[in-house]
Amino acid sequence: MSATAALAREAIRGGERRTPDALRGLLAVLAVLSLAWGAVAALTAEQHASAAADVVAVSEPLSLDAEQIYQSLSDAEATAANAFLGGGLEPAAARQRYQADLAAAAKRIEAASAMVGIGAARTEGDLTKLSADLPVYAGVVETARADNRLGLPLGAAYLRQASDLLSRQMLPAASDIYANEDAQLTSASAQATGLPLMVIAILIGLAIGYVLLRTSRWLARHTHRVLNPGLLVALAAVVVSLVWLASAFVIGRGDLLHAQQYGSGPAKAFARADVAALQAHADESLTLIDNSGTDQYQGNFLTQQDLLGPGTGTLLADVAAAPAVAGAPSGQAVTDDARAWFTAHAALRAQDAGGGHPAAVNSALSGDSATRFAALSTALESGITAHQAVFASSAHSGRDAFTGLEIGMIVASLAMVASCAWGLTRRLAEYR
Amino acid sequence: MNAPRRLAHTAVTLAAAVAVAVAVAVALGAVTADAASTGRVAKPAAVVAARPAVASSAAPSCNQKASSIRPSGPPRVTAGSFMATIKARGYLIAGVDQSTYHFGFLNPLDKQIEGFDIDMIHAIAKAIFGDPGKVQFKAISDNDRIGDIRNGSVDIVAHTMTITCERLQQVDFSSVYFDAAQRVLVQSNSTATSLTALRGQKVCATKGSDSLGEIAKANAIPVSVPYWTDCLVMLQQDQVAAISTDDTILDGLAAQDPFTKLIGPRLTDEPYGLAIAKQHPDFVAFVNGVLQQLRTDGQWAASYAHWIGNPVPAPPPAQYGS
Repeated sequence: MSATAALAREAIRGGERRTPDALRGLLAVLAVLSLAWGAVAALTAEQHASAAADVVAVSEPLSLDAEQIYQSLSDAEATAANAFLGGGLEPAAARQRYQADLAAAAKRIEAASAMVGIGAARTEGDLTKLSADLPVYAGVVETARADNRLGLPLGAAYLRQASDLLSRQMLPAASDIYANEDAQLTSASAQATGLPLMVIAILIGLAIGYVLLRTSRWLARHTHRVLNPGLLVALAAVVVSLVWLASAFVIGRGDLLHAQQYGSGPAKAFARADVAALQAHADESLTLIDNSGTDQYQGNFLTQQDLLGPGTGTLLADVAAAPAVAGAPSGQAVTDDARAWFTAHAALRAQDAGGGHPAAVNSALSGDSATRFAALSTALESGITAHQAVFASSAHSGRDAFTGLEIGMIVASLAMVASCAWGLTRRLAEYR
Repeated sequence: MNAPRRLAHTAVTLAAAVAVAVAVAVALGAVTADAASTGRVAKPAAVVAARPAVASSAAPSCNQKASSIRPSGPPRVTAGSFMATIKARGYLIAGVDQSTYHFGFLNPLDKQIEGFDIDMIHAIAKAIFGDPGKVQFKAISDNDRIGDIRNGSVDIVAHTMTITCERLQQVDFSSVYFDAAQRVLVQSNSTATSLTALRGQKVCATKGSDSLGEIAKANAIPVSVPYWTDCLVMLQQDQVAAISTDDTILDGLAAQDPFTKLIGPRLTDEPYGLAIAKQHPDFVAFVNGVLQQLRTDGQWAASYAHWIGNPVPAPPPAQYGS
């Protein structure tokens, strides 16, 4: 900018004779500035567009896979334990649900393994661990089923082993993957919505616009023509590209932030609560299978119940804090469902402790506790689905806001160079 | 060094550093993957027990087979007795096993706890209420037997429980209702013929059971788990070489796996008694009265024939310390 001003001052001091040289110098400076603007604007556009595309194409599916792995495994455990309670005659629906869970987990592990990039060694290690453990887990569950079908107490021991493998090794790995991928998503999103580079680009654009304005006024004074059409076109190009860049950023950023605040953030809160509820459900069944009164599984149930809440700092409090979106249950509804289930569970425990083991088993299999749990789980899962849908649509439109932006910036800067050259060479021609 | 050469040098150094870093990362990844994919076997929570302190400390001496209270006659619910308290409550609370086939196990077909131990409890309920069904069964682990009796959460424990002099200091026992002995269960292809042959190998027993002492004595490595069926899981998965405990329990495990066999001599004498809190000597005498009836009216023999099989031996004779 100061170089241009110096040139302009020199041109003025040099008088008429020096004007052609000054014009040539001006043209060179304007061309360099236009190209520089194109480079900075295109770079900025590219950075934001690729970060937004990353959110949609990699981070979002990965974190979705991670959430699904976590949830499917928890659901498989809860379902296997619950089905086991039915004795040799497992409910067919439970059997199908268990198999669907295993299939979903396997599919998601494979998908995530294919997508996870270099540098995500930790996630990769966890995924390898999960793919190795999954068939072992399934094998132990099948042994438990076979023994259960023969009416052997040994079946319960195999089920305890399967549950132990899942909750001590597999779920921590799944939880780890989820935490990593969620952090990845947050950082990709932060990159797409980050301010500094964009602010610098816009400041440079404004400066170039100012230079073009000053140049055309100087030219008007020295060549006694009111307007130079070339410089006007260049000015229009810089204004259009600036407005495009800024509005794309504002829209894209707004969409991506919305995706986070109304989508992935609340979905995560619902997913965490769902997994805790599933774990507690597995513990309820295992307590009845273990059948030794207040055992470690009932202890685990109470731990999960404390995690769920409601109350400050609990998972249900996070769920209640989620903004309302279409299709998601209200925080109050979820809390009521959870309370109803906890009450049913307490009644079940009292039944079991009072010598009513068969009645307690019935409650867990198809009675009050089973119904209450199903209501809670359905509510939480509809919350996950609804918020994930919001995330997907907002993140997609956030990414689309950056479409064509990079090319647009390059084209605009080339147009600026061309129009400056056209405008100034017409003035230069008058001196020949 | 001039600028371009310095630049080139920097680039080469950087490239080399990146190459080394990538190689290290790949190698590390490979190592981690190997560790993750090999030698991973799912295991039940097993605890390798230290040599039980019981073995070394001076065990109190007593005549554990003749330590119980003599019944004053046929069982009668006298006013003010513990039996009257139980009767007022409406049901007897019994701490039992739910995973020992043929002694105390949850029958998956009818969801009822059944077995030889359970028959004893039903007989006591019948003597109190006139109805053998007035029982609340609490399935407890081996480890909880003494504690649950002492804190009053159960009235009586029928749980393949050996009368030992050490336990007699904490709880009372009925007269002996079953004579068991510690033996060893191995897979049918095992070449071991006794516990001593398993020196240095892992042998499973439940936490809190007195079988751990014999395992340690034979210089085998004791592995302890919550339930006996957990031991069978570990035997089937080759995580332990053998299971050693009372023949009664081992018979129940062998019945669930035809590819196992009992080996070796009777290592110990395990007289089973029903455990009752020390505050209730009246209940001990009452239970002994019930057991005496079972011995003489053929019910004991009927239970034995039903759960363990023929031939039926003579029931253990009742001996009393007082």
